[in-house]
Amino acid sequence: MIADDATMSRLALMAQAGDRQAYGTLLTTSRDWLARYYRRKVPPVQIDDLIQDTLLSLHRRLASYDPDRSFYPWLAAIARYRFIDHLRLVYRQSVETHSDNADFAVDSGEDAIAARICLERLFKVLPNGQRAAIELVKIKGLSIREASDKTGQSEALIKVNIHRGLRRLAGMVEKA
Amino acid sequence: MNTNTDDMIGRLVADLTPVRPLRQRTGMVRTMLAFAVSVGIVIYAIGVRADIMAGRPDPMFLTSSGLFLVLALASAWAAIDMARPAVGTRRDGWAWTAMMAAVLPVAALGLIAIDLFTGQPVRTAPGGYECLAIGTAAGSMTLASLVTWLRRGAPTFPTLAGTLVGVAAGSAGIFGVSLCCPHNDLIHIGIWHGGTVVLMGVLGRLFLPRVLVW
Repeated sequence: MIADDATMSRLALMAQAGDRQAYGTLLTTSRDWLARYYRRKVPPVQIDDLIQDTLLSLHRRLASYDPDRSFYPWLAAIARYRFIDHLRLVYRQSVETHSDNADFAVDSGEDAIAARICLERLFKVLPNGQRAAIELVKIKGLSIREASDKTGQSEALIKVNIHRGLRRLAGMVEKA
Repeated sequence: MNTNTDDMIGRLVADLTPVRPLRQRTGMVRTMLAFAVSVGIVIYAIGVRADIMAGRPDPMFLTSSGLFLVLALASAWAAIDMARPAVGTRRDGWAWTAMMAAVLPVAALGLIAIDLFTGQPVRTAPGGYECLAIGTAAGSMTLASLVTWLRRGAPTFPTLAGTLVGVAAGSAGIFGVSLCCPHNDLIHIGIWHGGTVVLMGVLGRLFLPRVLVW
C-alpha cells in the first residue's frame, strides 16, 4: 500500500520538524515505493542496495524537500539521481571487466552478472544496429573498423549508431 | 524486504534531527545580498560612470546592463531552485534570457566579421581585460553564495547547476562592472562583458560539478 502524495508531504513536513514516528512511516513507505520504482530498472539482486543508497540520500538531503511541493516527484528525482550513479558504476565495472581478463577470472561473480543483466535491460529499447555498435565498441573495446567488419555496418554508420544509441539511453534514463 | 534495509531505517530514524527546509525565497535573498555587496565593492573601488552621475545614462549602457541584470536574476533563480529537485520541473526560463543577452556578443562578432570580409580596419575594443578580470572577481561572491546553497540541497543535475551558477556569477559580476565601465560601444560590451559571462559559465560547467556532486 503506497500512501497518497498529500499524506507523504505531511509526513515529510513532520519529519523535518524532528517527528521520529512520522519519519519512520515516511521511510518505510518510501522503501516500498522505491522497490517498485527500481524493480523495472535493475536486476533483483541490486534493488536492496539501491533502495538503501536512496534512503540514505533522502536522510542526508531531507532539507531539500519543499513542503509546498509534491513529495513523490522529489523522491523520484533522488531515486533517478542514485540510479544514474548506479549505471555509471555498472558501466565502469563492465568496461574494467572486459579490459582486464585476469581480473575477470577472479572478480566476475554476482556483480558482473548483475551488471550485464542491467545493461541488457537497457539495450532492449535500442534497435539492433545501435545495440551492436555500442556493445562492440563501448563495452567490448573493439575499434570502429573492427566493429564495422564484424557487423557489416560502415564505419560512419557505426559512429552514428553509437551516438544515437547513447543519446537514446541517456534520454531513457532522464525520463526514468 | 531485506532486513538490512529495515535495520537501516531504524538507524536513520534514531539519527533524525530537525532540519529547516530550503526555501526558494531564502536562497534568493542570500544571493541578492552577496550580489549587492559585490556591486557595492566594485563601485567603491572604481567609482560610478560619469553619465550616471550626471543623470544622463547612455542608452547602450542601459540596455546591456539591463540584460545582464535580468540574466543574473533568471540564472540565479534557476540555480537556487535546483537545490530542491523534483521530476517534471521545468527550469528553462533562464535559457531564453541567456539567448536575449547573447545578442550582444553575437552582434559584436558580426561587426568584426563584416570588417574582416569588407577589408576595413577591424574595430577594436579597448580596456577589455580589466572588465573581464574585475567582472570575474566581482562575480565570485555570487558564485560562493550559490555554491554554498546548492551544497545544502540536492542538485540532481550537477553539470547544469554548475553552468547556471557560472552564468549567474558572471552576469552579476559584469553588471557591477558595467555601472563603472566608461565604454558604450557594442564591440567592447559584446566581446568583453559578454565574454565574462561565457567564461564564467564554462568554468562553472567544468569545475563546479565535482563540488556539487553528493
